[in-house]
Amino acid sequence: MHQLLECIDAGTEYCPCYLAESNECIMCSQLQGNTFCDCRNWKGVCIYQEYIWNRSRIKEGRREITCRIAEKKTVSGNLMILTLEANRTLARELNEPGAYVFLRDPRDPGYFDTPMSVMMVNEEEGTLSFAVNTRGVKTKALAGLENEVSLRGPYWNGILGLKYLKGFRRGKALLVARGVGQAPAIAVARKLILAGNQVDMVVDAGNIGVNFAEQYFRDLGCKIILQTVFDKNKLTVSPEALKFIKRQVEDEGVRLVYCGGPELMNRDIKELIQGLEQEVYFVCSNDAKLCCGEGICGSCQTRLHDGNRVITCKTQLNPMEII
Amino acid sequence: MKVVIIGGGWSGCAAAVTAKKAGADVTVLEKTDLLLGLGNVGGIMRNNGRFTAAEEIKYLGAQELIQITDQASRHKNVDFPGHRHASLYDVHKIEPLVRAKLEKMGIKIQLMTRIVNVNMDGHTIQKLQTADDTWINGDIFIETTGSTGPMGNCLRYGNGCCMCILRCPSFGPRVSISQRAGAEDILGQREDESYGAFSGSCKLAKGSLSREIVEQLDQEGVVVIPVPPEDINLDKLSYKVCQQYALKEYAENIVLLDTGHAKLMTPFYPLEKLHKIPGLESARYEDPYSGGKGNSIRYLSMAPRNNSLKVNNINNLLCAGEKSGLFVGHTEAIATGSLAGHNSVRLYLGMPLLELPRSLAVGDIIAFANEMAQSAEGRKKRYTFSGGKYFEQMQEKDLYSMDIALIEKRVERIGLKDIFKEKLL
Repeated sequence: MHQLLECIDAGTEYCPCYLAESNECIMCSQLQGNTFCDCRNWKGVCIYQEYIWNRSRIKEGRREITCRIAEKKTVSGNLMILTLEANRTLARELNEPGAYVFLRDPRDPGYFDTPMSVMMVNEEEGTLSFAVNTRGVKTKALAGLENEVSLRGPYWNGILGLKYLKGFRRGKALLVARGVGQAPAIAVARKLILAGNQVDMVVDAGNIGVNFAEQYFRDLGCKIILQTVFDKNKLTVSPEALKFIKRQVEDEGVRLVYCGGPELMNRDIKELIQGLEQEVYFVCSNDAKLCCGEGICGSCQTRLHDGNRVITCKTQLNPMEII
Repeated sequence: MKVVIIGGGWSGCAAAVTAKKAGADVTVLEKTDLLLGLGNVGGIMRNNGRFTAAEEIKYLGAQELIQITDQASRHKNVDFPGHRHASLYDVHKIEPLVRAKLEKMGIKIQLMTRIVNVNMDGHTIQKLQTADDTWINGDIFIETTGSTGPMGNCLRYGNGCCMCILRCPSFGPRVSISQRAGAEDILGQREDESYGAFSGSCKLAKGSLSREIVEQLDQEGVVVIPVPPEDINLDKLSYKVCQQYALKEYAENIVLLDTGHAKLMTPFYPLEKLHKIPGLESARYEDPYSGGKGNSIRYLSMAPRNNSLKVNNINNLLCAGEKSGLFVGHTEAIATGSLAGHNSVRLYLGMPLLELPRSLAVGDIIAFANEMAQSAEGRKKRYTFSGGKYFEQMQEKDLYSMDIALIEKRVERIGLKDIFKEKLL
């Protein structure tokens, strides 16, 4: 396997985790059942050392906290913006592209845990905002809450290709966000703008029918292009949108494309970029079904081109490698 | 024709020199920001049989690095327990001299480039993958990544990372390229059959020692101080790598050598005990920083190879230095590196690879270490011109000599004088 797989949690206070304990560590050969180092994916910390120094025990995992609901604002029929009072530490930890948490009604059992991308954080006040699109059992339960919500986090692997995003400086980036996918794109746009990039933002209202994050993108200094990207009847990206993205790369010098939307939209745009001559970094939302966030349940398992399977709730990788 | 050398320690630099002289386009990839690796904290040359080997290397035509170590010597002709006529090069001066030499020869050096994997076509390496996910092509590859560390190994087989000059936490761990290419690593063992061995010396900051000790080091190059009887630990001799220093004198005495650092000839020594020794009351470590606790672990990653230093079953990979056997020392690294570099061009051209005859110490040690690596007992020993089992053999076979003219004649007689100077391409 030539794919360099990084665990998003490596070196954090949550590492080593349950995977290390069961010889399933994503990065460390010693914690994959081998007795020698074969450390190809180094993140600056020896996970084996952390494990042994912790007296061969894993670190305490993420805790669940109860947050007061500070504000619940309905934007359109199914979409609401939920603002929670957490704490400043959590707000700081979640102020990253790709950050997400699990939310549920505190009275519900654990399997109601709903993965939710962080839309905005206020580090000073310790508050977190989420765009909740009511679609099924779990989100309906959240929509009905008035006072408190259970939160488990922080988690960070909501975006794949983070190293390209974090390493991109003083260039031109194109972000494509659809529907509720606008929410995690705000942190992406912010990161890119802070690194001196020019950011063009294609916003597709999608099924929710509103461009609820448009003003945030404008405030950050992004150029906004409103257009329908994904044809929900044909389940493909429209030819006009593909042509537009192609032109942006070929004529306008875009060298990083971020896609935040349905899996099929991300796939079409990824294929377009793969076919272009220019070297363009591709970054996209992690569209796997995230269930536990800890690499245990297996619901996020994804197959790569080299035949290997990875758990994408914890594994950072180049999204081009995903089938 | 491009030769890519993975690892810029003494053996990698030596391989670069001879590959370049044989006509190759040479690139050295080094994971840290310094060439010479452990050579930046070493310094001992020409002690016992290493004198003979150094002269052989010169007459074989790879004189460059030997000359640099001679030129950078702080002391020459130093005797210390069990060892005679040593030269001690200045560890603070050596790296820039070697780097300048390589650059002047037109050898490309890529620092902070850590290789993590290979792309194979059958049994042939196509290209190397770097830690930042770029690919480096080459025709012939020479692995000189050594066998020390990384952190997980130093923890499993030693006392944990003690922050040595290799600086794995900063630059990332060594990856065994031969193993990645499909040739399973051979492992060295200790007498108790545990794997690996501690590096044999640690270095004190000279500024932390008493003025008398510093003066004696500056003048004579060596200081021997008795250890308080209650602190003598003979057991420690068995788990050190450098069996040439596993002598009773080294348990009963503190032996310090002046390499710019005060090189303390023991794998590690608790600071508290060290501070009880007159003149060392304020001593602190320079390498490894935690030399009071432990040292790096070595010999966990040797490639199976033939006596021409080609790795078995991999068509275009050679190896040298500790990667090629249970060798100890810079002279041993330069000897094996020089052969691997020269042979890289022969391998490319389809010529028979050079195997140095056993009538030379350099050829004999390469063949002997390979024989010994086949047996469990042999894997518990280390091989160096300067002591232990191999120096005994060198004397028995009459290969040890201090007579430079005789050494020249020996190399000349077998028709290999200046062989490493031949331009093959």
